[in-house]
Amino acid sequence: MRAPMLMGKEKTIPIFAMIILLIGIFSNVYVYANEISKDTINIQGQEYTIDQLFGLVSTKTIIIDDSEISGASLEELVLKMYPQCSSCSQFTIKAKDGYQQTVSWEVMKTGILTDKYRVIFADTAHSFWVRDVIKIEVK
Amino acid sequence: MDDKKKLLAGILLFGSLWGFSEVIIGSYLNEIGLPSGVIMTGFFALTFLVISRIYYKQPGMQLGMGLVAGALRVFNPFIGCHVCSAIAIMSEGLIFEILWYSFSFDLKELKTVTMQIGMGVISAYVLYVGGYIVTQILTPIVSGAGFFVENLIVFMPRILASGLIVALTGAAMLPIVLQIRNLELNVKDRLYYPATIGISIFCWVFVIGVWFFYAV
Repeated sequence: MRAPMLMGKEKTIPIFAMIILLIGIFSNVYVYANEISKDTINIQGQEYTIDQLFGLVSTKTIIIDDSEISGASLEELVLKMYPQCSSCSQFTIKAKDGYQQTVSWEVMKTGILTDKYRVIFADTAHSFWVRDVIKIEVK
Repeated sequence: MDDKKKLLAGILLFGSLWGFSEVIIGSYLNEIGLPSGVIMTGFFALTFLVISRIYYKQPGMQLGMGLVAGALRVFNPFIGCHVCSAIAIMSEGLIFEILWYSFSFDLKELKTVTMQIGMGVISAYVLYVGGYIVTQILTPIVSGAGFFVENLIVFMPRILASGLIVALTGAAMLPIVLQIRNLELNVKDRLYYPATIGISIFCWVFVIGVWFFYAV
């Protein structure tokens, strides 16, 4: 009984390994072919530079891991951009590399947008933070 | 009974070493800009998981190691996602158990270098990508913010792409780690328990000590 199983693994393991390597290679090609390169952030269909956004709202400081980080207040930004539905919506923050996170208004209003295009929220797991932000949308 | 005690001490030892390397070495690699996740899974996690499998030959051990290492990772004193890293480590232990379930404990299936490289690719890639996906699903749920499947789907190509370098690391590492099968290692009971417990205590005291130092 054991011999056929061994023979099976001798064939299947290299095949699976090849498939995995091909998945990895094609995923890399896909990712780099679809990478977005821009220095503006799309909010409600409008493109804004980071300086414009900092000019629209006040700066807020939050404490993360014992250090202070400052950035444009997302609470103010949302209230300015989406006055009609700020407290009743969920917000999706999208990054250049395809990473995106959806958060509630309760989380959104604790956040900041730094001058390095990074969205950081106070009191959430770091996986909710988004680097190289290119779009903020209401869901 | 004695075997069970030995196994528990082994789980504690290897889990603590894994957690210690994740917290101390992983955080340092991250700080100097190296891809810590890639190195930690492709090099450290795979090494600890395979060595423990070779020496203890016990199903369930690697899951236990993942739980110990994940618990230690929660005390990470440095910047990083504590919850997501702990979840990733625990899930890596479980994924390893599932992946290696059908292999005999003497690993006679992995005789040829081709098989070893192949299994290195599969193990490292599935551990890394699997842990990444589980983290992306469980972290929002555990933290109460809710999981949105579309967020995971759009990021899947990036996750699958990031596993390639881990797979190549695993391909290089596994044949090397498997050489340990040729080493005869007999540790007497009177040395085994003090050594395993002592090293484990050192790992926990060191990590919690550093965490306390940074927190206070």
